[in-house]
Amino acid sequence: MPSTDEELVARSMGGDLDSFNQLVLRWERPIYALAYRVIGREEDARDVCQETFLRAFRALKGFKGQAKFSSWLYRIALNLCRDWMRRERRTPVSQAPEGVDIVELAGETAPAESIEDLVARREIGRAVARAMAGLPEEQRTAIVLKEYHGLTFQEIADLLDCPLSTVKTRLYQGLTVLRRQLARETVPNDTAGPRARQGYEDV
Amino acid sequence: MCNKEVLVAYVYDDISDIDRGRFERHLRECAGCRDEVAAMRSVRADLAVWTPSQPDLGFSIVQNRTPSWRAWWTPAFGLAAAAVLVLAAASALAHVEISYGSSGFAIRTGWNQTAALEAKAAASPATPVRANVDEAHRVNVDAAMLADMNRRLRNLEMAARSSPIVQASNTTPRLSDAEILRRMSDLLAQSESRQKQELALRIAQLARDVDLQRVADLSRVQQGFGRIDQMSAAEAAAHRELANYILTSSKQQK
Repeated sequence: MPSTDEELVARSMGGDLDSFNQLVLRWERPIYALAYRVIGREEDARDVCQETFLRAFRALKGFKGQAKFSSWLYRIALNLCRDWMRRERRTPVSQAPEGVDIVELAGETAPAESIEDLVARREIGRAVARAMAGLPEEQRTAIVLKEYHGLTFQEIADLLDCPLSTVKTRLYQGLTVLRRQLARETVPNDTAGPRARQGYEDV
Repeated sequence: MCNKEVLVAYVYDDISDIDRGRFERHLRECAGCRDEVAAMRSVRADLAVWTPSQPDLGFSIVQNRTPSWRAWWTPAFGLAAAAVLVLAAASALAHVEISYGSSGFAIRTGWNQTAALEAKAAASPATPVRANVDEAHRVNVDAAMLADMNRRLRNLEMAARSSPIVQASNTTPRLSDAEILRRMSDLLAQSESRQKQELALRIAQLARDVDLQRVADLSRVQQGFGRIDQMSAAEAAAHRELANYILTSSKQQK
């Protein structure tokens, strides 16, 4: 049975480097995904991810277990993302994943899906990336944490040091902007996507 | 009760049972909120399509246990150790004892063996080295060759002893500590200067070799270019010939 995060943290604090590296292995993908969606650049997201674990390792003695280890990592990563955006003085870019072709994409999807649907899915993915990049940082971060990392509103509020109602408002505002943006970018006809695009036409 | 916070909580199903029940009752009456919930769900479905790239991560924390001073100290220490090794090898070579007999073939080195070797040599200076290969069964070496090696080594040792410094140490067996220290430092200085000279010689030789190799490489490259030029000239000639042939044949056809 695999060790829990808490057990691995305790062993890491006792000087067991392997235990810490198990935590790295467990959390590097989610942390990278978080940084990628907030920053929008693969290379910088990698750097942020690496730096997150370095900082966590150095500050491990200060981790008192008042929050989940993952929340603590998220906080470090988000601070680094914020530093990156401040330093670079730029908004995130929408970088479509490179080196993914239709054949690869087809391997990941159900065989029933047509090639038109695959192309449409890819287009939607790009449109989402662009629309997310255009959001204010607070809204984007709230959406990323809720939508892709499944945190509760309360966890997000704790992480971002803001009231619960603020988190919900940011999410609502962000989703509303995305809705308008995606309606503008996607064509509401049969080839636009695998699903009916209900709700976009009335905006 | 068009509360947007409750709406978003409902869309994400992160809502208390009481609030959910109340909002569902509201939805039955409010078409605007119904549309909005549908639109939010559609946006969420679109968001699910956006996947991050999948680069190789594989991070791991590696602790560097080497203290910083060691990195600086090691080369100097290594050189000193190498120098000591060279000195030890040189001094040991000057005192080599080879014995070959019923106990087999043996080479002994070191200052401590000198007295024993000399005593043996004095006791039986003309005694040939007994070659008993069958008994030893270790090394198949000709007795005459061994005797020759032994003689040459002894000559080498005598020559070394006849050098001024060694001779002085033999003639004055009791020396003060300061004198010994001075001589030791002299010896070390000589050895060091010899090594420096040798090193300089080696470096000069290496530089010469590299230079020669470079010149040879350059000439080879030039030859290669010459060949390529010749080839391309030949090809151009062939092309001209072919073009002429085509022209003449087309004229003939006309």
